[in-house]
Amino acid sequence: MSTLTLLTAPEDKFTPPGLELFDLPPIIAGVTWFTKPVLLALLSSVIVIAFCWAAFANPKIVPRGVQNVAEMGYMFVRDQVARPFLGKDADRWMGLLLSIFFMVWIWNLMGVVPVFQFPVASHIAFPIVLALSIYILKIYLGVKHQGLVGYFKNMMFPPGLPKPIYVLMAPLEFLSNMIIAPFTHAVRLFANMFAGHIILAFFSLVGFWFLFEKLTPLGAPLGVIGVVMTIAMTGFEMFIQFLQAFLFSMLAAMYIGNSLHAEH
Amino acid sequence: MPAIVVAAMSEKKIRPEDDGRDFADAAWSIPSYLLSGMIFYGGAGWLLSKWTGVVAFTPIGLILGVALAVYLVYRKYGR
Repeated sequence: MSTLTLLTAPEDKFTPPGLELFDLPPIIAGVTWFTKPVLLALLSSVIVIAFCWAAFANPKIVPRGVQNVAEMGYMFVRDQVARPFLGKDADRWMGLLLSIFFMVWIWNLMGVVPVFQFPVASHIAFPIVLALSIYILKIYLGVKHQGLVGYFKNMMFPPGLPKPIYVLMAPLEFLSNMIIAPFTHAVRLFANMFAGHIILAFFSLVGFWFLFEKLTPLGAPLGVIGVVMTIAMTGFEMFIQFLQAFLFSMLAAMYIGNSLHAEH
Repeated sequence: MPAIVVAAMSEKKIRPEDDGRDFADAAWSIPSYLLSGMIFYGGAGWLLSKWTGVVAFTPIGLILGVALAVYLVYRKYGR
């Protein structure tokens, strides 16, 4: 484990975990791209596919077992994510939104599953790819439904502003919709998972160091605090993981909705 | 028609979904507008201060950007 290599530092000093937590070696020597987050991302895809297959491949009118659980997830995404932003178009986009929600949630949950313990999205490439696909879809839908000129006109010149103000506002609208929005879409998920992983690693290392590695009468209470905080933060982290999966799919629904219908 | 009937009728037209959409739309767009305001006009101010050598253009641009973004948000979502 990476924590053990940390503890063999030459000095007998407690060193908090840092960026080396995210610098993982290839699983198979020589195949540089195949690291732990890649393996976990593949595993997450398999889990989501298997889960949805088990639930919806042969649906019953009175749901039982897996179908019951999956339908709760479906209802949540439909009522909280899709319908508020897509209205009557919600059902057409449920496939995409449900997949995104489950996918991101499982990615995030990998951060607290014992043995795996690595949130996939804490490597920024993963949220960037997801956010970029939504960004391309958003522009494609906008151009398709509002026309190339209409899309940018509706975005940069929304009705209801005094005429001279448009000169000042159009660049803000463009920057906000075309650059800042996709950027924050990816970074929000990445930063939350990145910070959460560091916090969990820090508190568990405090517990391990002061209770097992260097047990002293003065250090022991600190170690106990570390263990208690690890448990508390794991609970909190699981809440954040769910919240970020929800927000990511919600923002995707919002961008799709705004491309289908111009703002009014 | 009595005013209360008109009010009740117009209230019926507002669907709860639209309400949620507008609120979330505003909540998630506001930070993005404020950031764009600072980046665009702050950046313009910075370029201007590089060109003219007057340092004050950078903070002026930043503040002007935020002010414009706040005004835009007010016109779009605050009614």
